[in-house]
Amino acid sequence: MKIERLILFFPAVLVVGYSLVLMGHGAKAAAPLQAKAAATAPAKAGAAAGAMAKSASVASGTGAVSIPDTTIAVNSDKPMSERVVHYEIDAKYDAAKHTVDATEVLTYHNLTGQALDHFPFHLYQNAFQPKATFVRDAKLMGSRDSAYAKWEDKFYGSEDIKSLEVVGQGDLTAQLQYMQPDDGNKDDKTVVDLRVPKPIAPGAYVQFKIAFQTKFPETQARSGWKRDFVLGGQWFPKVGVWWHGAWNCHQYHNTTEFFADFGVYDVKLTVPDYEVVGASGVQVSDAANSDGTKTYTYHGDDIHDFAWTASPRYKVKEDGVFQGQMGPVKLRFLMQPAHWSQAERHEKIVKDTMERFEKWYGPYPYKTLTVVDPEPDSAAGGMEYPTFITGDASWFAPKGEHIFPEVVVEHEFGHQYWYGMVATNEFEDAWMDEGINSYTEVKVMDSIFGEDSSMLRMAGMTLGEREAQRGGYIGVADLDSMAEKAYEYYSSNAYAGITYGKTASVLLTLEGIIGEDTMAKAMSVYFMKYRFTHPTKEDFLKTIEEVSGKDLRWYFKQAVYGTQVLDYEVSKLSSFPVNWYEDEKKGAGKKKDDKDTVYLSTVWLHRKEDFVLPVELEVKFTNGEKVREHWDGQSRWVKFQYEKKAKVESAEIDPDHKIQLDRNFFNNSRTAEADPKPARKVSNYWLFVTQWLGQALAWWAV
Amino acid sequence: MSEKKGLLSGGYEKVVRNKRYIFWFWLLNLTLAEFGVAAFRNQAHAILDNSLYSGGLVHGFDLGVFSEMLARPEFGPMMASTMPALYFAQVFFVFAVLFLPGVFLGYASNYRLPRDEFFRACGRNLWRFVRLLIVAGIVMGIVTGILFGIRGALVKAAGESTNELLGFEVSMACLLVIFLVMTVMRIWFDLAEVDIVLSDQKKVRKSIGASFRHTFRHLGRLLASYVVTTIVAGIILMAGIWLWRHGVAAPRVGRAFVVSQLTLGLLLIPRFWQRGIAVAYWQREMAHAVVPPVVPLPVAS
Repeated sequence: MKIERLILFFPAVLVVGYSLVLMGHGAKAAAPLQAKAAATAPAKAGAAAGAMAKSASVASGTGAVSIPDTTIAVNSDKPMSERVVHYEIDAKYDAAKHTVDATEVLTYHNLTGQALDHFPFHLYQNAFQPKATFVRDAKLMGSRDSAYAKWEDKFYGSEDIKSLEVVGQGDLTAQLQYMQPDDGNKDDKTVVDLRVPKPIAPGAYVQFKIAFQTKFPETQARSGWKRDFVLGGQWFPKVGVWWHGAWNCHQYHNTTEFFADFGVYDVKLTVPDYEVVGASGVQVSDAANSDGTKTYTYHGDDIHDFAWTASPRYKVKEDGVFQGQMGPVKLRFLMQPAHWSQAERHEKIVKDTMERFEKWYGPYPYKTLTVVDPEPDSAAGGMEYPTFITGDASWFAPKGEHIFPEVVVEHEFGHQYWYGMVATNEFEDAWMDEGINSYTEVKVMDSIFGEDSSMLRMAGMTLGEREAQRGGYIGVADLDSMAEKAYEYYSSNAYAGITYGKTASVLLTLEGIIGEDTMAKAMSVYFMKYRFTHPTKEDFLKTIEEVSGKDLRWYFKQAVYGTQVLDYEVSKLSSFPVNWYEDEKKGAGKKKDDKDTVYLSTVWLHRKEDFVLPVELEVKFTNGEKVREHWDGQSRWVKFQYEKKAKVESAEIDPDHKIQLDRNFFNNSRTAEADPKPARKVSNYWLFVTQWLGQALAWWAV
Repeated sequence: MSEKKGLLSGGYEKVVRNKRYIFWFWLLNLTLAEFGVAAFRNQAHAILDNSLYSGGLVHGFDLGVFSEMLARPEFGPMMASTMPALYFAQVFFVFAVLFLPGVFLGYASNYRLPRDEFFRACGRNLWRFVRLLIVAGIVMGIVTGILFGIRGALVKAAGESTNELLGFEVSMACLLVIFLVMTVMRIWFDLAEVDIVLSDQKKVRKSIGASFRHTFRHLGRLLASYVVTTIVAGIILMAGIWLWRHGVAAPRVGRAFVVSQLTLGLLLIPRFWQRGIAVAYWQREMAHAVVPPVVPLPVAS
């Protein structure tokens, strides 16, 4: 009996041992093979091979773990970012329950220079719970989406880690602990921390094997379902970012967005076979399953997030290609059926925007861009993910209106640069993605549609982008600084007004100070220097100083770090004859010829608020003469005097309209004579409305 | 068909014969609205008159400039400038209630109604009209409340559809139905108003009952006449706005005022036309029930 067992045991040991050796070799050989395949084979096949080879390596647990250096999804022959993470996700979407059941293998490369003994993870979908900080913030600060006046079950979202194993250290699910680094709200479960028994050495790799289930809410904050549509954003456990010597992993707040490391994504997504699917990265395969589902496989290089969408009703336009500086970019538009006629508008604005971004700032390196026209009435419109954006359109879209879809699509594409590639910390420096992007939005939209009508030219009305951006800021100008953390703003409106509107106005004003060309160069240098990194405020500000060769601290201190408000006014004008007493002697009614009279004209300027900025002044006289003055703006007021054979007609601060940051444009100029026309015109409109209201009431009521 | 044309032309004839009522109502409308916009106008002048920035409103209409004007603290809260407009719209409504009996009497007369008769009719019927309005308000409030409630529910249900346009289409269809139902009620109470004045009916409920029966007895004729006149009103409004936009250069404020007032003046015609139709109908179909002549004879002077 014993001998029989030994006879059977030894060959078994030999077979298993030999197999393990072979598998180890195979896995080691797979990595170079994968890279080679990626470089030579067609994208689909290469990515599939790469993904499969990598899976084999992970499954064995004995192979050399690394982050793939694939370049399947970028028009580059080498990786463009320092790749810290590799996510391999196999997810199945249940369209009836709006849930995703998935496994995730996360390979993390410890480039922090020190041993890591814990890892925080974002669980963003847990934000959509009644006691979560996200919901509390919405109730306290107001919200772009739901203010949660009443809680409904459909608002509920969750992200549960079913199990978590650290390869080589076993199942550590029990070690997971929720943490609330921002507000201490114990009911907030959007960040979970994992302490590992064996710290991960500097330069080493660690693999996490996670099984999780995500339940999407009805669309909240650009994620979730609406009717039979779903937008899968922030849907999987994501590790925080080691940034400036510490983990940066904030809770999900109503006014915050995201922050993550660059890497590679291989995602298998199984959905009902009737769904039309779009996602970040390139699609490498699709396969029908026997259970009425279909599995799509996507691969993304040098990206820091992965989003997807599915709807049975998308109409797809995918014949568009943008010839970028680094290679062709395949454009894919997933349109709502009722918006199909606007597909061309979407494509045109995308191409026009890409052309300008490449010309002004730098190349778009990815091979794809997916533009999603999301479900109507959903809170999914206007969102950015790497190589994947959502627009916002309506079935009614007159031509002169450029907000939907043009402004939205332009803005979200802009995030491919200011977020996608220049991956700033959206929790702490929201102005660096939303604000810089709003500034470039103004530049792009103005160049396409004209400065005065870049948002609207319809029915005799016009609206320019820069005015709209400024309009958002002037009402909240003194509440917060741009440097405020996104979750520490006074209100949701203050966050939006400062982050978007003030930043755009600050940068447009800066453009006036250092010159448009210098600013454009600074933006390009900033992009090229910091793409695929996580720059700070100072990285951006110093770049502008370096490129312009100017010390701009005085400006940044007030505009970026301060809450100073800028408001200069022409407070008074005066003109009277120098020899005024002679006129008096001659008596009233005997008016001397203006041409011979010398007038003493005075213009008073007043700095009404605390922002100090040098300003130009243009004084216009009745004989057509114009005089330019410069005021350093340091004192509270100043006066300029002239003796001329003409009276002052008008005076205007900032005659070239460079100071977009001024809170009140009306008092920037003053005319000696009142012109009642503008007031009469708007009053006439109001009169018409009032009369019509009276008539309408009388029509129906009596 | 001929009867319908008869009602329309009969009503129109009364309007043309009494054009002065339209003029006076337009003047009343304008005067009251002038009070309503006074606050808005003063604030606008204070901000815009001496600023070069306000030029964006003259040679076009820059919404950025306009919205910044509204947002200025010195402009004051929006309510302060918009509420007077709403108040004066209501005052216009009150004056309409007050003076309509005179208009009906004028339309029913085959001579130019003297001022004293006009105002006497207004005074005599004021309290009756108030009572009628209370009833009309209750009935119309309930019916429209129910209809708008149904509309809301239908639109909400349609909004869950995957057909994006369905919600809009349902909403439009519901509004059309509501418009027709409200027009029917308008006809009913217009006839009641006419009956109260021309029959000198002290018992308002009798006029309400009689006009209810007549409304549904000749619903097709009356409804068609009212719908046609409403369409005319729509055309006048659209044409006026089109002319304002395309026929008047942006800086020509005076011309814009003339075009806008012309539009508003013409816009009064369809409603008076409807009242003319109501009077014409009453004279043809309801007058026989009246035993004593109610129209006081003109006093020779």
